[in-house]
Amino acid sequence: MLMTSDIRVGTVFKAGGDVVAVQRLLGIKGGRNGQVKRMRVKNILTGQTSELGLDMGEKFEDVQLDYHKMKLSYIDGDTWVFMDQESFEQYELSKDDLGDNAGYLTPEDDFEVEVAFYEGKPVSVTLPTSIVRTITYCEPGVKGDTSGKTFKPATLDTGIEVSVPLFCDIGTKIKLDTRDGSFQERA
Amino acid sequence: MTLDILCKVVDNYGDAGVVYRLARALSDIDPGVRLRIVVDGLDSFAALAPGLNPQADVQTYRGWTVLRWNHRWDGFVAEPPCLVLECFACGRPDFFEERLFDPARTERRVVVNVEHLSAEDWVDELHLMPSATRSALVEKFLFMPGFTPASGGLILDRDFIKAKRLWDAARSGGLDALAQARTDLAGRLGLLLEPGWAGLTWLTVFSYERDYRLSAAALAALSSRSPVLALVAPGRSSQPFLDAWEAAGRPFPALPLPFLPQEDWDQLILAGDINIVRGEESLARAALAGRPFIWHAYLQDGGHHQVKVQALAERLAAFFEPADRATLVRCFLDFNERERDAPDQGGGEDMAAFLDLALGKRDAFSSFGLSLEQNGDLAAHLMTRLRKIM
Repeated sequence: MLMTSDIRVGTVFKAGGDVVAVQRLLGIKGGRNGQVKRMRVKNILTGQTSELGLDMGEKFEDVQLDYHKMKLSYIDGDTWVFMDQESFEQYELSKDDLGDNAGYLTPEDDFEVEVAFYEGKPVSVTLPTSIVRTITYCEPGVKGDTSGKTFKPATLDTGIEVSVPLFCDIGTKIKLDTRDGSFQERA
Repeated sequence: MTLDILCKVVDNYGDAGVVYRLARALSDIDPGVRLRIVVDGLDSFAALAPGLNPQADVQTYRGWTVLRWNHRWDGFVAEPPCLVLECFACGRPDFFEERLFDPARTERRVVVNVEHLSAEDWVDELHLMPSATRSALVEKFLFMPGFTPASGGLILDRDFIKAKRLWDAARSGGLDALAQARTDLAGRLGLLLEPGWAGLTWLTVFSYERDYRLSAAALAALSSRSPVLALVAPGRSSQPFLDAWEAAGRPFPALPLPFLPQEDWDQLILAGDINIVRGEESLARAALAGRPFIWHAYLQDGGHHQVKVQALAERLAAFFEPADRATLVRCFLDFNERERDAPDQGGGEDMAAFLDLALGKRDAFSSFGLSLEQNGDLAAHLMTRLRKIM
């Protein structure tokens, strides 16, 4: 069984009668003792996407998936091509299938990801929990502010924007939590 | 139609209070609906609902079946759950879960997560959003109470709305009529009012622990112009408020209240000129009452409660003149500024500014309350939805 709290971008699970893959987490909202995880999911049988709001107490069935370790080989438009590091076979996933995970990957990366297969077809990608990326743009760093409590926007080498502490600068390598995009530490 | 309502008591009486009111409202709309209410904190429920036995595993109350949370009741075997209101994502008792997801069942079931009240923008987006369970036959969706027409609204139970009309009429009748209505209420509740108290500016106090010293000073200043009677609810704010009042030299009368059942507490909020309230249930009543109020929000990690306070204050501020809006929002935020709930926490608010707004701009609070009524009844919205999908 899978709890709502275990679900992240790339997770494939059975929601009702459908097998869905999480493409985007759209936020966690809620009151004092309950939270709702809002997400965009893709039905991997029909290809349709929809939004779901799952409360934290719900349990779901895992789906039998095969996982293969791969590296992103190249990007061709909206098609992302991964190579199996053992068989050297290549598999294609659309940018939509990667969802938010697309924002953490480039073909230059040397780390491996897990590509999930459902009935022989690649359906989603799971990233390492932590990855290192480089800041390509942000406002100049503030020296002396090492509290890490105040944040500013920064663009990464993949093109996405994340929040980083004020002390970060262009060129700073940072460690990110891929589950929510949060800054962990300077790498 | 049989509806199962599930509730776990997390904080004080708020959760049980919402469920009790919702049950009354649903029964008012359709007395033929059979309600089975499963509660884990029967003590809280019983405190609000006179005559309910907090010791019983199963009982009939107001025509409803009321059950203790983990009681393995045969009724769920005879008639398994089909329509479920899971309040505040409280989860489901194990025995109930087994019946709900019984693999032998082939009919469709629906679970509604009736969520917490919030004034934040995302409430409208999440209202009626599909959720999911592990079974294709057990559907689930979110139902969001709120302050906008696009949300599920607030519960407009018949007793509360009727009482509001009566109190509005009493106020329209002038100070003597209002004082008479308050004297009658005090008599019914066993409150000992001294002569002249019924005509004072009534302030109800029901919050978490906080520093009330500056508030007491501001109330003392107000009392020199418009004499105040503080009606102090029992519980966490009682002692901090009374200590501050004592330290200020008892500048106005203060009346500690006994614990009041829900319908009586409603009456007191409606009788009040200014209400200091906490929790979602009393907030909803204070806002609907159309009387000046300030909300002490449940403390959340990282000061997140202030996000909720700001959202509420901004919705209320829209009913004020532009020049007053920032003051109102500031008062709400400052009233809620603290790191923990304790008698030495908070207290930095400009209560005098709030009291000026409260008493000078009563119409704005009244218009806010009216707008909330116009959003429609949460129970009616819910019932309409359930009838449509089943």
